[in-house]
Amino acid sequence: MASKACTPRLAPATPRSVLRALLLTLPIAVWSLLMLFHPGTPTDAKSRIAEAVTALFMTGLFFMMMRTGKTYRWRRCFFVALGFLFPVGFIYNMVLARGTMGIPIEEMIAGRTPFCFLAIPLLIVPAALTKTLVFPGSIAASRHAIATMVGLWLALTLVLGKGWCAYACFFGGIEEGMAAVPKRAKIRKIDPRWRLVPWAVLLAMVLLSLALFEPAYCMWLCPFKAVTEYVTARNAVGVVQNAIFIVLFAGLVIVLPLLTKKRTQCSFFCPFGAFQSIFNKISIFEVKIDRTRCKSCGVCQNACPNLSLSKESIAQGETLLSCMKCGACVDACPQDAAVWHIKGTEIAWKPERARLMFLYAAWAMAVMFGGSIIAQGLFTILHFLA
Amino acid sequence: MTLRAKLGYTAAALTMLAALLTPFRLMDSFAKGFAALGLHVDEMYSGGPKLRTVAMGPYSIAVHKPVFPHMLQSGNPFVQLDWSPASALPQHVSDVVDVDGDGRPDIRVDFDVPKDPKTPLRVNVEPLNRRYEAMQNEGKEGFSRLIVRVDNAVLVRVPLANR
Amino acid sequence: MVAVVIFGEALTLGLVSGPACMASCGPVLVPSLLTEQTGFRRHLRFLSAFLGARLLGYLAFAAAAWEIGALVSMRPASRMLLMGAVNVLLACVLLWYAYSARQICGSSCSSAKLVNIGTTKDRRVAGAAVLGFLTGFSLCPPFVAAGVRAAELGSVTQALLFFIFFFVGTSVWFVPFIGIGCIARNQAVLTVARMTMTLIALYYLFLGIAMLMGRKAYGF
Repeated sequence: MASKACTPRLAPATPRSVLRALLLTLPIAVWSLLMLFHPGTPTDAKSRIAEAVTALFMTGLFFMMMRTGKTYRWRRCFFVALGFLFPVGFIYNMVLARGTMGIPIEEMIAGRTPFCFLAIPLLIVPAALTKTLVFPGSIAASRHAIATMVGLWLALTLVLGKGWCAYACFFGGIEEGMAAVPKRAKIRKIDPRWRLVPWAVLLAMVLLSLALFEPAYCMWLCPFKAVTEYVTARNAVGVVQNAIFIVLFAGLVIVLPLLTKKRTQCSFFCPFGAFQSIFNKISIFEVKIDRTRCKSCGVCQNACPNLSLSKESIAQGETLLSCMKCGACVDACPQDAAVWHIKGTEIAWKPERARLMFLYAAWAMAVMFGGSIIAQGLFTILHFLA
Repeated sequence: MTLRAKLGYTAAALTMLAALLTPFRLMDSFAKGFAALGLHVDEMYSGGPKLRTVAMGPYSIAVHKPVFPHMLQSGNPFVQLDWSPASALPQHVSDVVDVDGDGRPDIRVDFDVPKDPKTPLRVNVEPLNRRYEAMQNEGKEGFSRLIVRVDNAVLVRVPLANR
Repeated sequence: MVAVVIFGEALTLGLVSGPACMASCGPVLVPSLLTEQTGFRRHLRFLSAFLGARLLGYLAFAAAAWEIGALVSMRPASRMLLMGAVNVLLACVLLWYAYSARQICGSSCSSAKLVNIGTTKDRRVAGAAVLGFLTGFSLCPPFVAAGVRAAELGSVTQALLFFIFFFVGTSVWFVPFIGIGCIARNQAVLTVARMTMTLIALYYLFLGIAMLMGRKAYGF
């Protein structure tokens, strides 16, 4: 085993030069222009400004990732922007289309309920058994049609695996923003068993969705109904349903992240996150712990926003299945023991290459998907300001 | 470099390629593949396929196939009728409809058509055949019994009397 | 010959209705099976207790309803009250079961017995049987359909036999549940199972209370 004295530092000791960082950023700059200004995008002044700002924003963040060698801080800027701007654009479009955030029964009958990814795991078993999708949408007839959204989800999952939760999910940014606000966490000790709740929610919702033939999570437990759309309450039970959404949002997305500095909804509740974790098994990119460098200081464990590191997993040189590949542990580790890794290769052998390959793929997805959502949100703001 | 490492890098490169192809090919291919699975939206939401159309002069009534909920679903079986185009409907609609196509009238449907399309609708249904349930001044009680305006059509769902 | 036709009908009705029974029992059965130790035999025992008690629930209800002629003409309001009470009871048993699983399995999950509910020897009942019995009272549409058909038969004995054959038909669909015995058991799996049971219990509790209040448990 190489001694600490002669083990080379893995991450760049000094930041990359501006020129080198710019060269590495160039493909993303081209990609951003391609994705945000392609034929078919609106050409009015407000749209163009929103698209230009977004392209600059995404390119700028990637440049900083290349220049500083850090990932988490810059990724978080994108993710928080995505989390806060998505509801802005979405709610505006809903109110424009039907005058309300509530989904009236007419919209469900017309198959115009926008499809949400969170429903995917709930639909699988009923569809497998009866070829029926228990969601009031349309298969192919509209922009948010089920086929389109499932196609998008499949492609993003193929590239990102559970990295969806750090580079694509348009809900996680709200709590990541909340978690970034306080300097220190007020609640520091969290029972690790809370990490199992998303799996229990997933199993319960899958079973109930089959039993009741409806998307049970969307009907009863989704906190993000509070900032997107919800079934219009027509009786007392509907009011109770909506109250549950608001309480869960306030607790899991606002209050608990402020108290713990963790992504509590994602870590302790979201069944879709548990579902996406399964795809980490096939994802080629991962984060590993180099046991030759690790001093078991626990800094990575504290830094992880998702509680995806435990003493046992660190001892085995691994993150847990729930790792979102956000880069927090890699950036925080004082020994450069937490490293980006490509499965099959030697741990800590050219981790920067693994990081670059992953970031090109992940950021391309982030620009394509998240970038368009950010642009839409900015356009909405400009629309109201002008 | 070991074979495993080469395979790993190959898979990583393919993942990057997949990222590049996503907006141009991959997403659409997956969407088409999903659409080709032959799945359909639950008929409790969609109302079931159209069976036939009854011409009524300036407008027509589309009769859908009766929908029977899956065994554990809430809601009753129903049949959906669509009056379209809504713009061609008179102020008051009172139609006798042969739902099952046996040549005999099954239900009488009465509803007003307000000028403002956002005004909530109310419907009365008088069953002329025991197979259908009566509806008195119903709005949108649930998926199994309602009257709503969707785009340029008025949809009425009449519950079936026996499960 | 007539008996063969009638009971063949019952078996067929059961086979056709089986997926619905499987779906309705799934929320109760899957997490409770996950609290058991691995092994086909153990799961077979659990499933047998569950299904046997479910059959008893069917038969008890069917016999009473046939005698008083109430099944066919039971008013929706009365049915809703009965369903509400059953759902509340089921929720309470699930919550108690989730708690009991913690006590039995502890940190090593090494108990070979079925999880028991109740603390004293003379009041121990197999948790599986209690859950099965309550699930049998669910009055799901296949059960009502079988009941309507059974009520047309000449005697209560024939009606009960009809139900038994119907039950056998539905039970075929429960065989795949034994496969849950393959899933490795550790503390994490047990914890997830108990949490799932708790969540489902809360749903049934809400559903039951709403039914007892005469309200539909759906907002749309």
